[in-house]
Amino acid sequence: MNVRQWCRDLGMGVRFAFTGGREGWVRMVLTAVGVGLGVALLLLTTALPNVLTVRHQREEARQDFTYSTKVPPRADNTVLVGESDTKWHSRDIRGRRLQPEGRRAPLPPGLDRFPAKGDMVVSPALKELLSSDGAKLLRQRLPYRITGTIGEPGLIGSQELAYYAGADDLVTEPGSTRVARLSAFGEAHPTTERADPVLILMMLVVFVVLLMPVAVFIAAAVRFGGERRDRRLAALRLVGSDSRMTRRIAAGEALAGALLGLVVGTGFFLLGRQAAGSVEVLGESFFPSYLDPSPALVALVAVAVPAAAVLVTLLAMRGVVVEPLGVVRTAKQARRRLWWRLLLPLAGLGMLYPMIGQGRSNGDFNQYLVIGGVMLLLVGVTALLPWVVEAVVARLGSGAVSWQLAIRRLQLTSGSAARMVNGIAVAVAGAIALQMLFAGVESQYTKETGRDPNRVQMEVDLSDGARLDVAAREFQHTKGVRASVAISSGGLGDKRRDPDHTAGITVGDCAALRELAHLPSCRDGDVFVVPDAHDEAAVKAFTPGRHGFIEPTYTEGDRGREIPWTIPAGLRHVTARKDALQTNVNGLLVTPSVLPARAAPTLYQQVYVRLDPAVPDAEEYVRTTAARVDPLANAWHWTSTEQSGKYASLRTGLLIGAICVLSLIGASLLVSQLEQLRERRKLLSSLVAFGTRRRTLGLSVLWQTAVPIALGLLLASAVGLALGTVLLKMAATPVAVDWASVVSMTGAGAAVVITVTLLSLPPLFRLMRPEGLRTE
Amino acid sequence: MTPPPGSLLTAENLRKAYGPTVALDGAEFSIHAGEVVAVMGPSGSGKSTLLHCLAGIVPPDSGSITYDGRELATMNDTQRSALRRSDFGFVFQFGQLVPELTCVENVALPLRLNGTSRRQAERTALTWMERLEVDVLKDKRPGEVSGGQGQRVAVARALVTGPRVVFADEPTGALDSLNGERVMELLTDAARSTNAAVVLVTHEARVAAYSDREIVVRDGRSRDMERAI
Repeated sequence: MNVRQWCRDLGMGVRFAFTGGREGWVRMVLTAVGVGLGVALLLLTTALPNVLTVRHQREEARQDFTYSTKVPPRADNTVLVGESDTKWHSRDIRGRRLQPEGRRAPLPPGLDRFPAKGDMVVSPALKELLSSDGAKLLRQRLPYRITGTIGEPGLIGSQELAYYAGADDLVTEPGSTRVARLSAFGEAHPTTERADPVLILMMLVVFVVLLMPVAVFIAAAVRFGGERRDRRLAALRLVGSDSRMTRRIAAGEALAGALLGLVVGTGFFLLGRQAAGSVEVLGESFFPSYLDPSPALVALVAVAVPAAAVLVTLLAMRGVVVEPLGVVRTAKQARRRLWWRLLLPLAGLGMLYPMIGQGRSNGDFNQYLVIGGVMLLLVGVTALLPWVVEAVVARLGSGAVSWQLAIRRLQLTSGSAARMVNGIAVAVAGAIALQMLFAGVESQYTKETGRDPNRVQMEVDLSDGARLDVAAREFQHTKGVRASVAISSGGLGDKRRDPDHTAGITVGDCAALRELAHLPSCRDGDVFVVPDAHDEAAVKAFTPGRHGFIEPTYTEGDRGREIPWTIPAGLRHVTARKDALQTNVNGLLVTPSVLPARAAPTLYQQVYVRLDPAVPDAEEYVRTTAARVDPLANAWHWTSTEQSGKYASLRTGLLIGAICVLSLIGASLLVSQLEQLRERRKLLSSLVAFGTRRRTLGLSVLWQTAVPIALGLLLASAVGLALGTVLLKMAATPVAVDWASVVSMTGAGAAVVITVTLLSLPPLFRLMRPEGLRTE
Repeated sequence: MTPPPGSLLTAENLRKAYGPTVALDGAEFSIHAGEVVAVMGPSGSGKSTLLHCLAGIVPPDSGSITYDGRELATMNDTQRSALRRSDFGFVFQFGQLVPELTCVENVALPLRLNGTSRRQAERTALTWMERLEVDVLKDKRPGEVSGGQGQRVAVARALVTGPRVVFADEPTGALDSLNGERVMELLTDAARSTNAAVVLVTHEARVAAYSDREIVVRDGRSRDMERAI
């Protein structure tokens, strides 16, 4: 046998694939669409690193905050940038107010000129939102004239909501958090942040878990129409093809399907790439240009998919004896052996074992061991499942006719039944493991904020120079606001420069101070102190009659305001409320009239807002008021916990990927199911001829799918729990089973199967029509 | 044509078309209990369609079919299915045995569909398999038996419910002459012994020779050869 003969046989197979008449074309189209969907997902995956890189680069290029506490001097090439982010029904809107200070002031990416005062340049998505019905409140909040559109380089995603508004009232002072003076946008010294090893571990596992079912799916797709093809191969044997030639011809057919699948998949990917620019999934959007796969990975896909198709076909043909008069598949097959199937998951566990207990503090996990170990464990599912299905269905007894028909079929073709559910089982096993890992490490990436959303639902942080009293009044009269509490706070030192002792100073009316501490009585002019248990010296430093300085100067930082203030008489000791609006209340609590007037602008000013849950859009009314009283105000919703952004993104990515993969597998299942039904068309019609009820056949189809799926999900749960346990141990995290996620993942798998069964019932009933008996 | 008195199953003026193709165009048919009638004709003449109409599998476009005094057209799908389960038996060209069931389970299937318990159904099935000389195959699957053996299993399946009419569509079409003759002998003997009528669709004169009477279908019209003489 030589290469030439191989090529000739493969070529003949390719020709057969395209010359099979209508039936042949239908089979080819099914295979090509199946493989194409898989290829499109693979190409999408190969493009993901670029997506992350470009998004990161764009985010860095428009970065406009400085870590320095020193404000650079005004110059011809500086611009003042005020942060005016807001939200609209849980969607973030990135807002900036720009005030160029000279002719050479730098433009942010995506802008070709500065908007004038009262004008704004918006992202296309925000433009659309503002012009939509129901965005009246948002239009009130952004009362600027739209004069342009932000170009793609200035946006992270196509659906991002963003605007740049012109301003002439921005000022920046030392320590200002809302306004910055810049001579250039972007991070001057980009640093590559060292990624958290556990997050990298999770990312690797997410990739493997999402890609493994795709590989399984592609392997199943190249076997579409297998039974009909086997009959054709028998005819080839009759005219003199030997068994090896027959296998190569079969491989050639699969190769043709895979090659066409590559073309179709590329088409799907390009279509999806264009469509990606107009959709937003779970708050994330992209530009088509982001989805630019790495050439090396594309080449790998282009070679691996056809090679896998040939390999899978050759492997599958090992269990089939193609004789000149037909295919001997229905005869009893040799029993499957367990030992080598167990070796795969055991080898996977063996690869992961050395990393147990490594955690976050012992460097990165070995990527090759992680990928290899997880892959072997998941491949173990596909190897073990046929054995499990065969072993279990062999022991199942007879029941009703529908049950008997299903079980007998499973006993005869347990391999194809297992092949059908392999993808789901792998996806569920991986998802269970990942959910366990995510749930296990969640506490490491989630922190308690100490804020009680039952007491206050929103906080509005005003910018420097805003009038707190005016803001408080406005919020009191805002629709949907039950109550508002205005508090300002700052620091007090015992010396003008580099004080030895410092204390916090919190200013508010009596009602506001009562939200912080238990006050025996209170009226304007009163002063209280909440002693800091950890700093007794400070308590002694600030007794009545002692002098202090509000906002002292520190040598390391900018000059402070250094406003002298004498602690008034009548200072009373009080205790902080456990459920105080602010965390860690200590220091002086003073009513407004006690402080000199010029001290007020130096303090951080906040308004805490209680919303009326009965008023829809109450939060939006508050944001609109906030924007009116102070365009640079930051109005935000209180939550009791906060999650790491990267952790949350990874979880979102997993969810998006899982939805794609499950949909893909569902489609594959449906195609396989329909193909099997079509193969059995005549038999179904003859069963109907002698009076078999539709319900009986419908139930038989259901059992036929449900039994292997139940076994597959059971095995997937076991492997998923084992993998999850190992991953948690690798992350040095206590092992706990998140049963809710196990149930929800297996439930999702079961839901896919039930949907597929329901969708296959109408074709089943159509195929049961007596017309199926016609031969002419 | 007036059906002969005492007919078990009669059809009058049957018309059936599949799209533009006319399969039956005024076909007539009748059969008595215990009678074997061969329906002959070339491929595409409409003989299988006639069989499907007579068995209530396919409704004719017009004409009437009466079984045991009951008009099939007045029955709904469920009633016709029940009739097929209880009173009719079927043998097809390729047996159409369910490949995943063993031979005895295949034969027992019509009984089980009628609600008979598995044990009882398989016991009765085995009796019929003995009569058709295939009892040794009871635990084998259809894929493991020869074409002739499979067809005898199919005959046993058709007779197991004690049908009053057996419809056989080219029952020997896929068999060699020796096996074909054996199957026909067993089928007709068994049917006659139970007084079952047999509607035998074939295009082979050799097979038709086992019948009591022949009807020839050509271009959708039937002609009773006995009456023609």
